[in-house]
Amino acid sequence: MDIGTVMNVMRDPAGIPAHPELFRILMIVTWVFHIAFVTLTLGAASLAIYAFWRRDTGPYWTRLSIAMTKVAKVGVSLLIVLGVAPLLFTQVIYDPQWYASNVLSAGWAIGFIFTLIIAYCLWFAFYFSNKEGAKRHIGIFAVIALLLFLLDGLIMHALSYQALLPGQWMDWYAPDGVVDTRGAYLHAIQWPRYFFIISLSVPAIGLYLLAYDDYLKSRPDLPEGYLGFVRPLGRKLGASGSLFALILFVWWQFDNPSDSNLIVQPGGWAVGAALLVLWFEVTFFADKLHGYLLLCGGLVVLLLLAIWREVVRATYLSAYGYSIVDQKINADWPSLALFFLTLAGVGGLVGGFYLSLLYRAGRVQGVYQADRSIAAMGTGAVAVLAVWIAVFFLYGIAIFIENTFAY
Amino acid sequence: MLGMYPTFYVPYIGSAWVMGIIGVIHVVASHTSVGAAFLFAVLETKAYRDDQPEIMGFIKRYGVFLLVFSYIIGSITGPGIWYAITVASPRGVSGLIHNFVWVWAAEWVYFTVEVIGVYALVYLIGKVDRLTHLKLTWSFALASWATMLLIVGILSFMMWPGNEGWYLTGSTNDAFYNINFFAHLGVRTGSMFVMAAVVGFMVAAGIKDEDLKRGVIRVIAPIGLLGGLFSVMMFLYYLQTLPTNAKVMLQAYLIPAYANTMIGIFVATTAYLVFVWWKPHRLKLYIAVPMFLAIAVLGVWPEERMRESMRKPYVAGQYIYSNQVIARDVPGKSIRGEVDLIAEKGLLKLHPFIPDRLREVTDDNRLEVGELLAKIACANCHALEPGAPLRSIPDKLYGSPDKDMIAAFLRGPLKHGAAPYMPRIDLPDQEVDAIAAYLASVNAGTLEKSAASHTSAPITALIEREGK
Ligand code: HEC
Ligand code: HEM
Repeated sequence: MDIGTVMNVMRDPAGIPAHPELFRILMIVTWVFHIAFVTLTLGAASLAIYAFWRRDTGPYWTRLSIAMTKVAKVGVSLLIVLGVAPLLFTQVIYDPQWYASNVLSAGWAIGFIFTLIIAYCLWFAFYFSNKEGAKRHIGIFAVIALLLFLLDGLIMHALSYQALLPGQWMDWYAPDGVVDTRGAYLHAIQWPRYFFIISLSVPAIGLYLLAYDDYLKSRPDLPEGYLGFVRPLGRKLGASGSLFALILFVWWQFDNPSDSNLIVQPGGWAVGAALLVLWFEVTFFADKLHGYLLLCGGLVVLLLLAIWREVVRATYLSAYGYSIVDQKINADWPSLALFFLTLAGVGGLVGGFYLSLLYRAGRVQGVYQADRSIAAMGTGAVAVLAVWIAVFFLYGIAIFIENTFAY
Repeated sequence: MLGMYPTFYVPYIGSAWVMGIIGVIHVVASHTSVGAAFLFAVLETKAYRDDQPEIMGFIKRYGVFLLVFSYIIGSITGPGIWYAITVASPRGVSGLIHNFVWVWAAEWVYFTVEVIGVYALVYLIGKVDRLTHLKLTWSFALASWATMLLIVGILSFMMWPGNEGWYLTGSTNDAFYNINFFAHLGVRTGSMFVMAAVVGFMVAAGIKDEDLKRGVIRVIAPIGLLGGLFSVMMFLYYLQTLPTNAKVMLQAYLIPAYANTMIGIFVATTAYLVFVWWKPHRLKLYIAVPMFLAIAVLGVWPEERMRESMRKPYVAGQYIYSNQVIARDVPGKSIRGEVDLIAEKGLLKLHPFIPDRLREVTDDNRLEVGELLAKIACANCHALEPGAPLRSIPDKLYGSPDKDMIAAFLRGPLKHGAAPYMPRIDLPDQEVDAIAAYLASVNAGTLEKSAASHTSAPITALIEREGK
C-alpha cells in the first residue's frame, strides 16, 4: 500500500474544528516556549552541577549553584506544561504521523513518563540538599537527573523525527514481514538535529545569567561582587554557546537528505544567521544592552528554529503527498471562542497577576506591599474566574436542558 | 482501506492496565491538588479574619508537599495518560482531540496559570501583604477547579453523549455538556475534598503545636466528610445517567467484583475522618500515611477500572470501539461506521499495517495471522495469555482447545454484537478461522511459552510446520 495514501486515510474522520493554518501557527508559537524552557532548564541544571563541584574554588559558586538548582526546578515544571500545548496542536494536524511514531516506539513513550518522574524527583532531592556545606556525593542525584532529562529529550526527538519518515514505518513495525507489537525501539535518531537543539542550552543559560544580573541589580542584600561574577560568566557562555550551536546547526543542514533541497532554502540559514547575530551582540554589546533585550534575541533564534522545523516537516511529508492544508474542516466556533476568551481573560489577567506579583516581590527585600495596580489585578483575577465559572454553568445548563427536551 | 494504526500490545496486563496505573496516580495527585487549593483558601481566610498567622505555616508545609507530590507527579502523569491512551488507542485519543481541541487548549491555559500559581502561592507566603496573598490563593483555587470542570466534560463524553444531539450536530457543546457531565463533576468535586483532607492529615500529623494542629484538623475534617457525602450522592445520580451497556457491565461483572471493596473503603474513610475530627491529637504519621495509601489505591483503582470497563465496548462517545473501529455513523461530522465494511472485506484487506505475506491466509501462516488479528481485534480489552489478569481470552474460553467451538463463538455472539460489552466483530470466514485456530492452539498449550513474546510469530510458524 502506498504510505502517502495511507496517511491521508489515517487522518481523523471527524475533521478539524478550524482552519489548519491556525493550528499550525499555535503549534509553532507554543513550541517556542516549550523549547525555551527546555534549553534554559538543561543549561541551568548543567551549570548547577558544574558550580556545585567548583564550590571550593571561589566564593560565589555555592550561591550560583543553589540559584541554578532553583531555576532548573521551576524550569522543568514549566517546560512540561508548555509542552502540552504543542502536543495538542500537533495531534490535530499531524495525527497520522504523531500516533504512528508513538505507537511504533510505545515502550519509550511510556518510559518517557516514568523516567521524567524519577528525574524530577531526583532533582528535588538535590534541591532540598544543595545547601551551604552540602556533601559532595549529593551531586550524583543531579547528574542522574540531568542524564535522564537528556534521555527524555532524545525520546522527544525520536518521536518527532520518526514522524517524518513514513516510508520506513512498515519496516519498523514488521521487519522482514514479521510483526513486532512491543514498541520496544527508538527507530530513528538524527543526531545532528538532537545535538544542535540541546546545544542551545549553553547560550540559553548565558543569556539568562545576563538578564538575571539586570533583574537583581535592585537587591542590596546580595553580597558585593556576586553580580560582577555572574555577568562575565553569562557573557562567556552566551558567546561561546552561540558559536558552538552554530557549528552543530551547519552539521544538521548538511545531514538532511540532499534531494529534499532543504539546504538551499533561506529559512534554515536564517536560523544560522540569527545565531551569528546573537554571538555578535553578546560579544560586543553584552555590557551595553539590557539583559532582557539579549534574552529576546535568544527567543528570536528559537522562533526561527520553530518555523524551520515546520518547514523541514512539511518538506519531508510533501514527498509523500501529505499536506495539512487539504484537511476536512468541521468548524466549531463556540469552543474556539472558549479558548481565545480563556487565553485572554484568564491567561492575561490571572497569569499576569501571578507573574507581576512574583516579579515585583522578588525585587524587594522583605515584604512586598501591593500597589494600586497589583491590588486591582488581584481583585480582577478573582472576579474574572468567578464570572468564567458562572458563565460555564449557565451556558452548560441551558444546553443540557435544551438537549434533554429536544432528543 | 481504513485509517487504522499499528498495534501496541503489552502481554498479560494489556495496555489498559498500564493506563489504569498511570491514571490512578494522576487522579490521586490531581484531585488532591484541586481539593487542597480550596482547603488553603478556607484556611487562609480564617487566618486573615481571625488574625492567626500561624495557620500560614501549615499552608506552607502542605504547599511544599503538594508541589512535590501533586505537581511533579500530577503534571507529568497528566500528559502520561495522554501518551498511554495514544499508544493503546490512537484512534480513540484522536477522536477526542479532534472534537475537543479547543476545550483542551482552554484547560491548558488554566493548567499553565496553575503551575505558576502554585509556586507563587507557596513562595510568596510572608513575602507579600496578606490581602494580596489571599486573593492569590482564592484565584488559585478557582483556577484549579476550572481545570476539573473542563476535563470532566471530555471524560464524561468518553462514556457517551446520552442522546442523539451530538451525532447529528457534531457540535462540541452537545458533546461536552452530555448527560452524565454534571453527575460526574459532582462525584469528582466531592471526592477531591476527601483526597485533600486525607493528604492534609499526613501534613497535619507532623505539626508540633497542638493548638494549631487541632485548629487545622477541625477545619479540614468536616470539609472532607461533607465532600465524601456529596460525592456518594452524586455517584448514585451518576449511575442513573449511564448507557445500557454500562449497566449490564455493572450488574454482571463490576458490582460482584468491586462492591465490597468500595463499601469497605467508604466506611473506613468516614470512620477515619470522624475519628480524627473527634480526637485530633491522636493523629500520627504512622496512621495517616497507611490510611492515605489505602484510600488512594483501594478507593481509586476500582473507580478507574470501573469507568474504563463500563465504557466497553467503546473508547469514546459510543462511536469508536476500543479495538479502533468506528462503530457507527456520525452524520454531524460525516463520519462513517466501519463494521459492515470490515465484515465484507476483512481486516486483512483493509488494515494498512499488515505485512504483505500475511494478507492471505495459508496453511503456513494461519496461526501467525490469527495471532495478529487477535491482537488487532481483541487485545485492546483482553490479554491473550492464559491466567493473565486482564480478561484473558483463553480463560474466558475455559481453556478449550476446540477450534470449532471458538469459531462458533466468533460467528455467533461476536458477529451479531450480542454481548453488549463487546464490539460487533464481524469478520470473513478465513479470518474467523485464523483467530479460532490461534486461540485453540494457545489453549492446547502448543503456543503457550511463546504467545506473548515478539519471537512468537516465527515460532508460531515453526510449530505449525512441525505439527504437520
Ligand atoms: C471493547 C472491548 C472488547 C473487545 C475488543 C473484545 N472483547 Fe471480549 N469481552 C469484553 C468484555 C468487557 C467482556 C466481559 C468479561 C469481563 O469483563 O470479564 C468480554 C468477554 C469475552 C468472552 C467471554 C464470554 C462473554 O460473552 O462474556 C470471550 C470468549 C471473549 N470476550 C472473546 C473475545 C474475542 C475472541 C475478541 C476478539 C475477536 C474479543 N472478545 C474482543 C470486551 C471486549
Ligand atoms: C525533560 C523533558 C523534556 C525535554 C528535554 C524535551 C525536549 C524536547 C526536544 C529537544 C524537542 C525537539 C525534538 C526535535 O525537534 O527533534 C521537543 C519537542 C517537543 N516536546 Fe519536549 N521535552 C521534554 C518534555 C516534554 C513534555 C513533558 C511534553 C508534553 C507534555 C513535551 C512536548 C513536546 C512536543 C509536543 C514537541 C514537538 C513535537 C513535534 O513537533 O513533533 N516535551 N522536546
